[in-house]
Amino acid sequence: MYVQLLDLACGALLLTAVLVLWRRELTVIIRMFALQGAALAVLVGVLAAQENSAELWAVAVGVFALRAVVLPYLLRRALAGAGESRRETRPLVNVSASLLAAAVLTLLAYAVSQPLVELAPSAATQAIPVGITVVLIGFFVLVTRRRALSQLVGFLLMDNGITAVGFLATTGVGLVVELGVSLDVLLAVLVLQVLTTRMRETFGDTDLDELRELRD
Amino acid sequence: MSALGVIGGVVQPVLIVAGSPLLVGLMRQVRARLEGRAGAGVGQPWRDLRKLLRKERIAPRGTSEVFRFAPLVLVATTLVVAVVVPFVATESALDPVADLFAVVALLALGAVALALAGLDTGTAFGGMGASREMTILALVEPTLLVAIFALSVRVGSTNLGAIVSSTLHDPARVISPVSLLAAVALIVVIVAETGRIPVDNPSTHLELTMVHEAMVLEHAGPDLALVELASAMRLSVFLGLLANLFVPWGIATEATPLALLIGVLALVVKVGVLGGLLAAGEVFVAKLRLFRVPELLAGSFLLALLAVAASFFLA
Amino acid sequence: MNLAATGMAAAVAIAVLTALLAVVVRTRTSVVGVGTALTGVAAVVAGAAALAGGSFSVVLPGVLPLSGVSLTLDPLGGLFVAVTGGVAVAAGIYSMSYADTPDLRARGVRVALPLFVVAMVLVPAAANVGTLLVCWELMALTSLVLVVAEHRRGPQVASAGRWYAVMTHLGFVSVLIGLMLFVAHTGDDSFAAMREAGRHLSPAVAGVVFVATLVGFASKAGIVPLHAWLPRAHPEAPSHVSALMSAAMVNLGVYGLVRVGVDLLGGGAAWWWLLVLALGAVSAVYGILQAAMSSDLKRLLGQSTTENMGLVLIGVGAAGLFASSGDRALAALALTAALVHVVGHAAFKTVLFLAAGSVLHATGSRDLDALGGLRPVMPVTTAAFGVGALAASALPPGTAFVSEWLLLQALIHGLPAGGVAAAIAMPVAVAAVALTAGLAVATFVKAFGVGFLAKPRSEAVAGAHESPFTMLAAMGIAAVVCVVLALWPAGILPAVQAAAGGVAVSGDVTLRLNQATGALSPLLLTLGLVAAVAVVAAVMRAAVARRVRREARLWDCGGGPMSARMEYTATSFAEPLQRVFDDVVQPELDVDVSHHEESRYLVQAVEYRRKVPDRIERRLYQPVLSVITAWGRAGRGLAPGSVHRYLGYGFYAVCGVLLLLAVTR
Repeated sequence: MYVQLLDLACGALLLTAVLVLWRRELTVIIRMFALQGAALAVLVGVLAAQENSAELWAVAVGVFALRAVVLPYLLRRALAGAGESRRETRPLVNVSASLLAAAVLTLLAYAVSQPLVELAPSAATQAIPVGITVVLIGFFVLVTRRRALSQLVGFLLMDNGITAVGFLATTGVGLVVELGVSLDVLLAVLVLQVLTTRMRETFGDTDLDELRELRD
Repeated sequence: MSALGVIGGVVQPVLIVAGSPLLVGLMRQVRARLEGRAGAGVGQPWRDLRKLLRKERIAPRGTSEVFRFAPLVLVATTLVVAVVVPFVATESALDPVADLFAVVALLALGAVALALAGLDTGTAFGGMGASREMTILALVEPTLLVAIFALSVRVGSTNLGAIVSSTLHDPARVISPVSLLAAVALIVVIVAETGRIPVDNPSTHLELTMVHEAMVLEHAGPDLALVELASAMRLSVFLGLLANLFVPWGIATEATPLALLIGVLALVVKVGVLGGLLAAGEVFVAKLRLFRVPELLAGSFLLALLAVAASFFLA
Repeated sequence: MNLAATGMAAAVAIAVLTALLAVVVRTRTSVVGVGTALTGVAAVVAGAAALAGGSFSVVLPGVLPLSGVSLTLDPLGGLFVAVTGGVAVAAGIYSMSYADTPDLRARGVRVALPLFVVAMVLVPAAANVGTLLVCWELMALTSLVLVVAEHRRGPQVASAGRWYAVMTHLGFVSVLIGLMLFVAHTGDDSFAAMREAGRHLSPAVAGVVFVATLVGFASKAGIVPLHAWLPRAHPEAPSHVSALMSAAMVNLGVYGLVRVGVDLLGGGAAWWWLLVLALGAVSAVYGILQAAMSSDLKRLLGQSTTENMGLVLIGVGAAGLFASSGDRALAALALTAALVHVVGHAAFKTVLFLAAGSVLHATGSRDLDALGGLRPVMPVTTAAFGVGALAASALPPGTAFVSEWLLLQALIHGLPAGGVAAAIAMPVAVAAVALTAGLAVATFVKAFGVGFLAKPRSEAVAGAHESPFTMLAAMGIAAVVCVVLALWPAGILPAVQAAAGGVAVSGDVTLRLNQATGALSPLLLTLGLVAAVAVVAAVMRAAVARRVRREARLWDCGGGPMSARMEYTATSFAEPLQRVFDDVVQPELDVDVSHHEESRYLVQAVEYRRKVPDRIERRLYQPVLSVITAWGRAGRGLAPGSVHRYLGYGFYAVCGVLLLLAVTR
């Protein structure tokens, strides 16, 4: 039961990451991100139930609050201010190619995480490649998307992946560390949101390629 | 060749041939009701077939026997699949043919026969339909085979009977990420292979959008009846395959009348529910542009590959 | 002297005799054809005898300098000898009337044909490095003569010949370097001694030997990125020569790889085979993608050869990978799949090239956009091509379906076997095989549907006629072999498994995997299909009231009778695929719209030009070629035409070398 729930949570983590890559509408992307936050919270919750640790339960609730509620809310607000540019129309790498790239990244993640898994094979550590895949897909989104907002989602995807790897590898990095990281992420999102708003005011657009003009 | 296999081999094709036009009728009816129309009734496809069978046979000028044999081959391939795949009974009449790769290749053979018939007419429509159908077929193949790979790795066999019975014995497998991801990938594939929305619209005759209909534009009368029957059968076969790969419960494992009856009923219910869901889903999505279809198929390929990956990630 | 030895001796004797006759008494073309076919028959007998266990060994020390000629025919070699012989039979019979043109009646061309066949027969029988290299070179030279046989047709033939000559010789040099390095470490150039010593080579040396020989053998097999010669030489060569090259000669690249990598070096590291597998996967997908875009019938077939050799290499690579992780049974299965594919490919590619040659013979065109409507005028050729296309497109009941089924089974059962490398390589390989299979279906539907069905697209086709009897007979033989292989693959399984060195599949009608569950019966499948067609036809006869078919006009949207120009062409058929794979193939499109003088809304003409250049070739070869050209231009200053200057160069060079020697001593 524990293994199955864990696997399902990991599957959901993976699937939402793929859907972020697949879909073009920013609202859908944000919804997928919120779902991923929920899946991550479930993952932590499953681990908490297994370890029977109140601290982990608290972390699970915190993760849910931050990643499934607060961050999506902030993103949605930024999107509402963004006006008409609600679609990631022309990513630098087209969608089919990025999906195939994600396939390669998955296999890469599996290959690099094997030594890590072999240190202590268990149901949790065997799912580490999933976390690393999410990190890589997040990085890929960050690199190839034009809209500041979808890049932001890419960054948050990376962070979700890192958190997942942390929990899967060590069964919890401690409440304090998690709290610190969460605050960091929140701060980063706020800063980036301000940046996005300023960009739109300056250029009337949030296409990051416009930043090139600053150099000239 | 066991008794169960032989009975299954007789019951299944009869059931598929008789039931598939009803399935199409059911799907049209669901769609009509959801769109606020009365609908023509579940039996309408059968009435259409009867009407077509009474019409005169036509040989368009300049076509060869490829054109004339294509509907026969199309129905025959689907019929063989209906005989060998474990729909009602776990054992197959022709076990060495009940291989997932063989079944997929047989269904592709039917599509190829129809595409050649389309090209044989020499009209722009026929060529266009054939070209599009073959493009989609080529792109579907990787997803299909990788999804099969994901399903058969844990069983260690591509034999359909083996896959179905192993799921029967280990029901927990169904709610694993491997199964779910593979199921989603296969659903996309089935939508593409059977020419449903959003890949193709079975009720359109607009040259910009049609794929399957363009190929069969020159078929008329009894030939068209065969083509229509075959596409209905392909739909039922694919849905039945999907149902029994992931939810095989109810299938007969012994050759008693009761077990067989339950098997038949279970298949009818499963395929009916899947067909209804598919039809209901179609109401809410628009047809994709032809050149967005690769994106859909790339996505489903990724899901299939993730299913394979999950089978060794989350072992 | 056993049967294998007798067969080999007969093959060599007949070929040499035929060549002599062609030189000395200027015989008729049919005699050369018959001689070639008989050489093929003898080779088939020898190969079959070797596969049945009657191997032989013979050493003729005086024939070549150094270690002399040494021949051995073991089951692995026997398989390739038999395949080559089989292709030669069909090609020989075919050439009896096909080669009866002024260009192909030339003496050199007639001599080259039997010698080419015998060289190909001798390569798999060579038992030392010297013999192998001499036969390899003889094969390259004779085939070169045959490729440029029709050089009067245009400059593209000479260009194809140049590409072929350069590539094949670079490959030869690579093989030479690899094998010389090997021999330098063993001290004896007989394969028996090398097999002993190969196990004790250091990994670094073995790796270098393997990669060097792999480069050479891959270039012969037309593997990407060394395939550039193949889509040039195969279309320009006369069709029976194309068949020999495409169905028999490229196989020897695979033979060399298996002989050196598996047999002599004894397996080796996993990375070797991952490299082979990756090359195979890339070649398979890239080759068939190019073929899908191609509208030249013979070029398409040539590119499909790259694809099929890629599939074979996937099998060989998987076999090596399994063997390196210690799973012998699975390795035997993968190698069996690869070798079955070699045999099947030889059969269907022979049919396809011979049928394409028949079309070329009748219409003078191999441009699919100008063909079509051949079915009424060339029924036998159409049927033969249809059989070949079905066999090539991995659909049941076809030969490629059986081998690809075996290959997929090997890949699926290989996943749990090989650790991380296998876990990543196997799904990717399955995806590559699947994409290849899908694209192959589209390609051959295009080739058959556009090339042979519908209405003629040009005048030349409308006046076509069926080919002479010998050509039809040759196609017929090859097509029958195709059908037999497709329906009864178990018939060649014992032979193939003897060559693969392990029994992985058993059964007489149904193929059963020995170490894993899995069974397939192509014969039952076909019977089921035929029965189903019969049942449907019978039901239709009973159900349909009016049985007579009425001729009717095609649906022309009410716009009057359809002309041939309204048909879909091969280019338009491939357009969706070209769009989908836009990023990979990067086609060059050129659309010119000329408007009416009075208004730019009235279009007078639209001109559409599309070229799908070989991208790998452009990226990889163009820079090298331009560097070479620049070198040549720079060197021109050194060659002013003065003889004294040239002699002077030699003199200075000798003095320089002597000086160097004196100083360094």
